[in-house]
Amino acid sequence: MEIYEADAVIIDFEDAVNVSEKMEARHLTESFLNNHTVSVDIYVRINSEEPFLDEDITLINQLPIQGVVVPKSTEAFLKKLLPKFKASLDVLALIETPNAFFELNKIAQMKPVKSLLLGAEDLMSVIGGIRDESGLAINYARSALIMAGRAHGKTIIDTPWVSLDENQLQEDIKCGQTLGFDGKMAIHPNQVIAINEAFSPSPKAIESALRILAMHKKKGSMRFSLDGKMVDKPIIQQAQNFLDKAKQYGLLSGENYDL
Amino acid sequence: MIYKSLEKLMEDLKIHDGLHLSFHHHLRNGDKVLNLIMEDLIAKNIKDLHLYPSGIFPVHTSMVNALKKGLIKSITTNYLNGPLSDALNQYPMEGQLTMQTHGGRARAIIEGDNQIDIAFIAVSSCDQAGNASGLYGKTACGALGYAIEDAIHAKRTVIVCDTLLDTVNNPQIEGQFVDDVLLIDSIGNASGIVSGTLAITKDPLGLKVAREAMRFLIASQFIKNNVSYQSGAGGVSLAITKMFNEYLESHHLKASFYTGGITRYHVDALEKGLVQSLYDVQCFDMEAIRSLKENPDHHFMSASDYANPNNPDRKIKALDIVILGATEIDLDFNVNVTTDSKGLIIGGSGGHSDTAEDAKLSIIVSPLLKGRMPLICKRVTTITTPGKHIDVLITERGIAINPMRKDLLELFNDSALNIMPIETLMKKAHDLSGVPKPLKKSSQSLGIVEDRHGQTSDILYRKE
Repeated sequence: MEIYEADAVIIDFEDAVNVSEKMEARHLTESFLNNHTVSVDIYVRINSEEPFLDEDITLINQLPIQGVVVPKSTEAFLKKLLPKFKASLDVLALIETPNAFFELNKIAQMKPVKSLLLGAEDLMSVIGGIRDESGLAINYARSALIMAGRAHGKTIIDTPWVSLDENQLQEDIKCGQTLGFDGKMAIHPNQVIAINEAFSPSPKAIESALRILAMHKKKGSMRFSLDGKMVDKPIIQQAQNFLDKAKQYGLLSGENYDL
Repeated sequence: MIYKSLEKLMEDLKIHDGLHLSFHHHLRNGDKVLNLIMEDLIAKNIKDLHLYPSGIFPVHTSMVNALKKGLIKSITTNYLNGPLSDALNQYPMEGQLTMQTHGGRARAIIEGDNQIDIAFIAVSSCDQAGNASGLYGKTACGALGYAIEDAIHAKRTVIVCDTLLDTVNNPQIEGQFVDDVLLIDSIGNASGIVSGTLAITKDPLGLKVAREAMRFLIASQFIKNNVSYQSGAGGVSLAITKMFNEYLESHHLKASFYTGGITRYHVDALEKGLVQSLYDVQCFDMEAIRSLKENPDHHFMSASDYANPNNPDRKIKALDIVILGATEIDLDFNVNVTTDSKGLIIGGSGGHSDTAEDAKLSIIVSPLLKGRMPLICKRVTTITTPGKHIDVLITERGIAINPMRKDLLELFNDSALNIMPIETLMKKAHDLSGVPKPLKKSSQSLGIVEDRHGQTSDILYRKE
């Protein structure tokens, strides 16, 4: 599972599995996870409807996994499910219905909810727009997730791009990345590298952030200009945040970071 | 002399029992020429034939027919795939099967180990004087590198051609070596000869192997100005070649040459100025043929200029990196690309052991499991390329460096790459697939695998 270099893997019990094969999916997952050591975080997307939901929950409470992805998350649905999950499970709320957008602030406040995930395809099937790589149709949905997530300190993960066209994927990645998402779901292993590259701090950006902090330290000032750009407190903070992230990814050597 | 009748040609050649005949495999699975000649020999009941096709493909069913009738005494080739493989188990020859390498075959012909009476050379275009080229005509296959030594050294050289031109410019085979020309309607099916578009693998596992190989190459510090490189036309190899090109481009580096079979990804590098020259022994797709016609830095070479170990000017002598595949690899890094795990012949060295022996860095790339069989075993079924010539094995689940390469082990000592002993990698495979039962080898030998110097590197056994 780890060989495709994703940071986490979601095993799907919901839309990827035929109704007639739900039991097999549970059985295969249980057998796999109990017999193999896996070095990435594993999440399971459970079904949103009976008769599968209860059995899914019973199983995931016994599995060695990081958490659960709740499809079609709304405030009411999460309130109903959260008490049934074992306490150690991280809950990833998949936001993919119009209603959820009016409850985002409350969903993001729920403590077991660690991340907000955007599910654009289900959303489009209800709202009726046309989604393309420009991202226009889901611009609001993306921004709404960012605001709610940031307001309550939750990780925000962008929706997958379903076509395997590499150029379109690049465009779609850029949309979410520009708006501020922390990462993105892939729907095919071949998408992982492009996503990792886009969301990893680039050497050029790291260098730029390091220069801002170096200048800040040298001048002892919160306001100065660097490379034709006005730098003040929020820009310094951005550089700091950026380097924190780069360090988290192991992209910084300690000595030039601790300024 | 130009013939339009096969009957007349064969009459004049005074075909008789015991002849040593050679063919080439540039038309691959689209070849009609070997079958044309063989069916005629079968009809005439010519016996005790010694055959030297440079490669044998599924299309070559006439060899099966000849074998069944007991007409073939021995076969010497570099690659064998298709029904002949099974037939060799069912209908034993009096002599043996010898699996050579591309470089070894060229050496053996030049030095007289392979004594060829008549070379039947399929060519897509020739002129009255016998000058011949694979670049022109309706069945163009590009470079004819594996046919050159046959043309020069056979006692009699027959060009079999389907397009007669007034003149052939820069012939790959010069008329002075040609004794006869046989004109026929068609030497092959174009669709079986070259691929219109060879594609990079889309398999996530294959791409993962390619990425790991590229990471290894970058960390190995081998990629610098004037680096030389060879890889094949498989999906994973093509992916690595594309990544290799991209790396050269983004780092403003220029390679000195690419060798071997040429594809559009090699051509792409040449036309973008990422590599100085291509040395082409065979063309794998239409783009390679176009480029060989158009680009002065895209050079044709013979099998001897490519890989003959006794040719001091062979191109691979200066090769830095070669990327190769494997059907099996063992704990001593011996590689098998000749037989499957049951001993059935499914391929052969081609240029595998030639390039592995010469290149400074010989890398095997493969998924850790082939179907449900582990790639790594304690001892390969057949040694095609000895482990001492293999430096690194790269799989999706880990990289193993040959302990004989102490310099590489040291270089990668604290590397972030997933490097481990090959034994550990084998255990990883076994954890996924289980441990396969060892196969009992038959005691009857079928032939030998010969290295490029003419030494026997392994025995081929009949399947029970």
